[in-house]
Amino acid sequence: MRVKVWGARGSVPSPGPETTRYGGNTSCVQVTLDDGTVIVLDAGTGIRNLGLALGGTAPRIHLLLTHLHLDHIQGLMFFAPAFRPRTEIVVWGPRSPEASLQDRIARYISAPLSPVEMRELPCEVSFREAPVSEWEIGSARIRAASVTHRGPTLGYRIVDGDASLCYIPDHEPALGADLAELGPDWISGYELARGASLLLHDCQYSDDEYPDHMGWGHSALRDALTFARRVEAQRVLLFHHDPLHTDDWLDAFAGTAGERWSALGGDPACVELAVERREIQVGAPAPVAL
Amino acid sequence: MGQPLELILARNLMSTISTPSVLVDTDGVLVFYNDAAAALLGQRFEEAGKMPWEEWGARFGPFDNGGAPIPFEELPLTIALRDGRPAHHDFTISDLSGERHSVEVSAMPLVSTQSGFRGAIAFFWQDGR
Repeated sequence: MRVKVWGARGSVPSPGPETTRYGGNTSCVQVTLDDGTVIVLDAGTGIRNLGLALGGTAPRIHLLLTHLHLDHIQGLMFFAPAFRPRTEIVVWGPRSPEASLQDRIARYISAPLSPVEMRELPCEVSFREAPVSEWEIGSARIRAASVTHRGPTLGYRIVDGDASLCYIPDHEPALGADLAELGPDWISGYELARGASLLLHDCQYSDDEYPDHMGWGHSALRDALTFARRVEAQRVLLFHHDPLHTDDWLDAFAGTAGERWSALGGDPACVELAVERREIQVGAPAPVAL
Repeated sequence: MGQPLELILARNLMSTISTPSVLVDTDGVLVFYNDAAAALLGQRFEEAGKMPWEEWGARFGPFDNGGAPIPFEELPLTIALRDGRPAHHDFTISDLSGERHSVEVSAMPLVSTQSGFRGAIAFFWQDGR
């Protein structure tokens, strides 16, 4: 499968000259499976550019939402395929005892926050609460599980052939616990991420910043890397950059991450910070049909 | 499979509070109790390990005010697990050294937003605290 980052910023879009290289759009990742199926992870503002890039090439799109915080759904009503009558969009997300997935999303795509209502979208859209058990989309098997964050939040694992991608953009597994000491059973997200070919994981804060944000649902560098090592991820993309972090700041942070990963016994070439428009091939490329 | 998030979060909370508490999964297996419970009962979880809740509960009594054993079926945690509702009881337990402690116990089921019943948690409160 191929993975392309369309937004790696957390919390709120942060456009400007100081964020041009890593990008200012919020969470959105395109996954193209070996059979051509398009899966979109989250609908932050990065999804707007994805929609423009897709054009009319994807008649059916599966959108997997981790949760409904605004930085993960804000781009939804600017997603061009949603305005094409011949496009089918299947939205997956966490269930809540309070209201259905559709009704919760409709709070955003409705007045006074939106000029259009959900029912006015020309595309064929459906909403499905992510099942507890594994399911299939295209050539991939998908698994969702609740992870430590504020409010109902899922992480996803996508397995396509021999490649596996784990996406946990908002995650604070070390809240109230020492990740280095915990047994695997007691680590949030462990089963989802175990042995993943590529792990996209929350790393919003430096270790120094984290104490002032404890309990906000995000990880410090130390915890993101410890989690990645514990689950034995083969490759790590650190994600959900804080809006205050400039390109220069993130450059230095990336250097620190490589050193820390190496100190934990990992190959520093296998950990990097997510950059908008970055494309990664996960596993072997799909054979070309002749 | 790893523990469900609700039990993970419950354990994290239990690890940081001084209220004795125990955690049981949907199969009735005691999967964790905190250091405060260990101090009350005389044995750390790391020493005891996982075990059926019934087996663990029987180690410590419990006894009613007249000193008679309380049936397992009437314990708050058993009710929370079996009936999926909160329960409360006051009784006496005996720690591993034989010393008796009067406690109140409140138990409640843990129900996930994503996948329903996940287990139960019980908090102990010692008289005089």
